[in-house]
Amino acid sequence: MEDIKIITKNWGKINPLKISDYIEVGGYSALKKFVAGMKPTEAIGEVKVSGLSGRGGAGFSTGDKMEMVAKSKKHKKYFICNLDELEPGTYKDRMIVDNDPHILLEGIIISALAIGAHKAYIYINGNYEKQFEILEYALRESRRKNLWGPGILGTKYDLDVELFSGAGAYICGEETALLNSIEGYRGEPRLRPPYPTAVGLFGAPTCVNNAETIANLPWIILNGGKKYAKIGATCSPGMKLYTLGGVVKNQGVVEAPTGITIRFLIDKLGGGMQDEKEFWFAQIGGASGHLVTEKELDTALTFSRDCPIPLGSGAIVVVDKTANIYELMLSWTEFFRHESCGKCVPCREGTFRLHEIISRLQDGEISERDREAMQDILWALENTSFCPLGKFAATAVRDAVEKLKILNI
Amino acid sequence: MTVGKILLNYETDGENILPALKKINTTFGFISLENSRIVADYFSVPLSQIYETASFYDAIKVEAQPDVMVQVCFSTHCAINHSGKIIDEIERLFHLKVGDENNPRIKLEKVSCFGRCGEGPIMVVNGKVYEKVAVEEVGRILGEYI
Ligand SMILES: Cc1cc2nc3c(=O)[nH]c(=O)nc-3n(C[C@H](O)[C@H](O)[C@H](O)COP(=O)(O)O)c2cc1C
Ligand code: SF4
Ligand code: FES
Repeated sequence: MEDIKIITKNWGKINPLKISDYIEVGGYSALKKFVAGMKPTEAIGEVKVSGLSGRGGAGFSTGDKMEMVAKSKKHKKYFICNLDELEPGTYKDRMIVDNDPHILLEGIIISALAIGAHKAYIYINGNYEKQFEILEYALRESRRKNLWGPGILGTKYDLDVELFSGAGAYICGEETALLNSIEGYRGEPRLRPPYPTAVGLFGAPTCVNNAETIANLPWIILNGGKKYAKIGATCSPGMKLYTLGGVVKNQGVVEAPTGITIRFLIDKLGGGMQDEKEFWFAQIGGASGHLVTEKELDTALTFSRDCPIPLGSGAIVVVDKTANIYELMLSWTEFFRHESCGKCVPCREGTFRLHEIISRLQDGEISERDREAMQDILWALENTSFCPLGKFAATAVRDAVEKLKILNI
Repeated sequence: MTVGKILLNYETDGENILPALKKINTTFGFISLENSRIVADYFSVPLSQIYETASFYDAIKVEAQPDVMVQVCFSTHCAINHSGKIIDEIERLFHLKVGDENNPRIKLEKVSCFGRCGEGPIMVVNGKVYEKVAVEEVGRILGEYI
């Protein structure tokens, strides 16, 4: 099963701008199968059986989420494709749009119809201007083929879609902040519950799914959930896009099953370390992810809560011994200081102070007072912030201190 | 082009506030207080909401911007690829500091990942993206703008 490809199967083989190319390789046949002979509940059933879990980082069961919205009796419902992707080191969703935009559109149509939405949004990273144009073009072509609007493919299904471009705020990738952003407010997270599946966009039940999650849908509908569930790790099956970076030979986005080890990721998919570079540590899941050292390299990466190293966005950056760790810590803390939305005190103040402390330690020395303050701030970020961003801000810094023994704390 | 004419392209639903603000921002370079008022009236929301929203997002500015805006990515991959050195070089060449608001001609910002990590370090000048920027090139590239 190792050589199976689901999301990237058409990459480099078709002209991404030509809908006819996509259709020639079997594209939109999952949608046809769905509208012609499947009940929405059946489609959601297949997704549940597949075990597909969210690829945006949290790893929640996609089938369960869709079912929650589908079951709501409210007439107005929304489906949102999360293409904000501002996690440093991650550009897998962008690559989906670059290489095969129609697989995403097909997945969106199936998901939205299955949950009973009549309106879908694609919330796209504001820096992705080229990808915005690709999607605009792909939408125009698919509209001409009667894949949107009232009477999709001659059925009673009705679905409209809108592209919504973000404005450069990492927190807007968080689903409730994303909703606020579309509604014209500051992109601050909302209190949950109620969850977006109950009270989402403009108060209506809303299903927000990551672009990569959605790209799996056509395959699952065509081949069945059972077959998908056999791929990769049993706790969170399926294929995953990994973004490789740092001092590995092959950089970029690759598709591989879940459950592979970090060592496999670096040696096999990444082609090993660049010449004469010596492994120091790797960071998994972007700037918000954990650091792993040599002895953890055989950890299998999954979305399970029991997995010690969360897979997150699937980004991996490999760092060698010549790297300047203080510069990296400065980069992480600066990122979170900048991206903190400012809604809650622990994160607004904590990210600011943490960055201040790190700026003072460029010579590798830390004062007693900063040392104590740093422990307090990390604790407050981890335990008292309003949304996960606060926790993310502490993750890499704590790992640098505890696993890499920076500062001898 | 006036703000009023730009706004006419948008229905008055909340979901058009951010797109309209972005459009006004690209047309005028920033959202002035006066223009915020017009937007608030158009969407029938308080001025404070427009200001809150406009000031929140990196891509929207609420103050006039200098002629040359230089942004250097300082997220993980670019930082590993020494984007810090590029920032130092710009500070040295133009006698300014990151975030300095005092120079009306040029401003330097450290910014977050552009999703082009494989091509880093990334520098963006007035919206134009430069990939794999080397320290030695910085003076020449910025010379084209100043
Ligand atoms: C700070 C923060 C940033 C996030 N950024 C993204 C993002 O860029 N893209 C994304 O799909 N999910 C992001 N998420 C996760 C979303 O909140 C949400 O869980 C996800 O979009 C749900 O889709 P999924 O179930 O398909 O993963 C982020 C979460 C947090 C807390
Ligand atoms: S933790 Fe940070 S990003 Fe999240 S709500 Fe609080 S201030 Fe905003
Ligand atoms: S880290 Fe600079 S573009 Fe991603």
